[in-house]
Amino acid sequence: MAKPRNDQCEIDMTPMIDVVFQLIIFFVVTLKMTTDTNLDIILEDGKHGVIIKEDDRPPSTLEIELDRFGTISIHNGKMSPDMLNTIMRNRVNKFGNQFPVLIRADWRTKHEQVKKVMDICTTRGVWKLSFVAIQEHKAKKD
Amino acid sequence: MAYKRRQNKGETPKLDMTPMIDVVFQLLIFFVVTLKQEDILSKLSAARPAPDPTVNKENQPDTTTIIVCNSGFLLNGMPVRLDELDNRLSRVSRSSKTAMVLVKCTMDSPHKFLIQALDVCNKYGLQNLSILSM
Repeated sequence: MAKPRNDQCEIDMTPMIDVVFQLIIFFVVTLKMTTDTNLDIILEDGKHGVIIKEDDRPPSTLEIELDRFGTISIHNGKMSPDMLNTIMRNRVNKFGNQFPVLIRADWRTKHEQVKKVMDICTTRGVWKLSFVAIQEHKAKKD
Repeated sequence: MAYKRRQNKGETPKLDMTPMIDVVFQLLIFFVVTLKQEDILSKLSAARPAPDPTVNKENQPDTTTIIVCNSGFLLNGMPVRLDELDNRLSRVSRSSKTAMVLVKCTMDSPHKFLIQALDVCNKYGLQNLSILSM
C-alpha cells in the first residue's frame, strides 16, 4: 500500500502578485486626489465640439470658471473681475494674445455675466474664446 | 563554523507572503473605490468680432444671424426650436462652410442656449462664428 504523501500542495503566488502590483501601479498613477475645478458648475452638453485632451493642452491655457451667480474663479480660487483683468494683462504680456482661453460657465449663467468675462478678454486683445461643454457623460451623478 | 553547519541542513528558508498579499489587496481595494471617472469635455470656439466698425458683418450676404434670448432662438426675427435651427444651419453649411454665423445674445439669456447654438454650428462644420451681446 502506498504511503500518503505528507507534503502539502502549494500554489505559486508569483503571477497573482505580479498582476496585483500592475493594478496598484495603474490606480496610483491615474488617481487624482484633489479637484482643482469648481464642482458647483454644471456644464451644458456639446456633443459636436472638439474634445479637450489634457495631454495636448498647452501650458499657457487659461481656464476661467464662471458659476451660475456670475462668480469668477480660476482653479477654484475665486476672484474679482479686476483680478482677472490683471491676470489677463500679465498673460498677454507673457504669451501674446494667441493663447487659448477656455470659459467654463454653468448652463444657468446669464449672458450678462459671460459677457463680463468675454469683455475682459477682448479688452486685452484676446478675440478667440472657447466654451467648455460636456462631450460625453462618464462621471456618476450623485 | 556556524555558517557551515546551517548549510548542511539543506533547507531553503521560505518567505511568508501572506501579510504582503493582505496589504496589497487593501491598497487595491482602496484605489478601486476611490477611482472616479470624469466626463469627456469638448470645446466650442468662437470669436468676438474685431473692433472694426467699418465692417458691418450683419449686412454681408452670406451671414446668418441667430438671436439667443431668454426663451430660445430667433432666426430672422422668428422664434425657432433647436431642431429647426439645426435644419436651417445644415442648409447654410451645404452652400458654404465658411459662411459667417453671428450669434447675438441678449443679456438675460442663459448660457445654455449659446452653447446649444455653437454646438449646432460645430455639428455642420461652420467655423466662422462670432458672438455679439445685445
